[in-house]
Amino acid sequence: MNCDEVGRLLDAYVDNELDLPASAAIAEHVEHCPSCERRLGERESIKRLVQSVPYYTAPVRLRNSVTSRSSRWRVTTRVLASAAVVLLAVSLAGGLATRALRSTPRIGAGGALADAIVSSHVRALMGAHLLDVPSSDQHTVKPWFLGKLDFSPPVVDLVAAGFPLAGGRLEYVDGRPAAAVVYTRRQHTINLFVWPAPNAPAPVDARTIRGFHLRHWIRGGMAFWAISDLNDQELDEFVRLLQ
Amino acid sequence: MSHRRFEEVVLPHLDAAFNYARWLTKNEADAEDVVQDAYLRALRFFTSLRADNARAWLLTIVRHTWYGRIAPRSGGYQTDGLDETSQEPAAETLDPEALLMQRQTIEDVRAALEQLPAEFREAVVLRELEGLSYKEIAAVTGVPIGTVMSRLSRGRDRLLLILKSAVSQVRAS
Repeated sequence: MNCDEVGRLLDAYVDNELDLPASAAIAEHVEHCPSCERRLGERESIKRLVQSVPYYTAPVRLRNSVTSRSSRWRVTTRVLASAAVVLLAVSLAGGLATRALRSTPRIGAGGALADAIVSSHVRALMGAHLLDVPSSDQHTVKPWFLGKLDFSPPVVDLVAAGFPLAGGRLEYVDGRPAAAVVYTRRQHTINLFVWPAPNAPAPVDARTIRGFHLRHWIRGGMAFWAISDLNDQELDEFVRLLQ
Repeated sequence: MSHRRFEEVVLPHLDAAFNYARWLTKNEADAEDVVQDAYLRALRFFTSLRADNARAWLLTIVRHTWYGRIAPRSGGYQTDGLDETSQEPAAETLDPEALLMQRQTIEDVRAALEQLPAEFREAVVLRELEGLSYKEIAAVTGVPIGTVMSRLSRGRDRLLLILKSAVSQVRAS
């Protein structure tokens, strides 16, 4: 790969959007080319800088108004159901871009469980109950689970990799107690659900439900579910670090 | 489609909707109005949400709502005179950490981002603040993935230029 080709792909490279061979070719080139290495450094700096700007969260006034409107809607839903069909037709004719939504979700075995994981994640984010033990220290979070569960979930320090620990809480998933270990990445929350699994080890399974990305695997006698609205690539990085 | 499902599926993305709207409109009052309208539309069109990506779906509605509002006002969809094919002027290279070393404040970066043409700004915001993939950004903004890539690339080129000129002004004074 020459400098021009590298330059064209450099943004996709820093965004983790390239396949493995292309990514490896760029890494190899950059190692021997000081000028491309410089450009790569600039790209990484500008990414970091942009990620430091404020994330505007919805004002309380707006949140209340949207919530109450949607409650009022509840009463009239049935009346408007037929109207919705008409509007749907209009929206499709009008080309409302729903292109992303055509891909059907891959709900294989464990679909119901995956739904339960999404619901737990959403409940934790919307309610006040995200953390029973708020701490960024693994040596605080891990022992906290010991008195509450009959297994010991792995809790690791990933702060150097950019996934600081936020804490943990007890969950009840699929009729059994589970540990929820909470990590963060920028403004995004990652819930990692863990419980004992007698099953054989299973490789990482990826799926997306309602805009949330999920990863599931079984390893060392434990079932793991990681869920977040973080992008696929960074969530994969998180999962790799745990393995 | 039950109402409870709407609350569970779409309400959790309220912050994402507001953040995107705030960067599109560049002011808080417009952003609130746009998100209100977008949620009403989302309620109406909820039955058209077939699959898995509620966040990208909602952000698409936010975008349509905003451009639907400004189009009558400004006499058409503004592209800030963008020429998708032209090249950005090359920024002189800079020591990777120099931007940080120059104590570039967060406010400078925020201001630089606001100066970007809308198409570049939204691509950068959706990528860096919302963590969307190229495919998702392509769906939200209704352009091919290759265009997303070039908008991100040129958006970052411009940010570098703007921030470097801010640095040299500081040096000169």
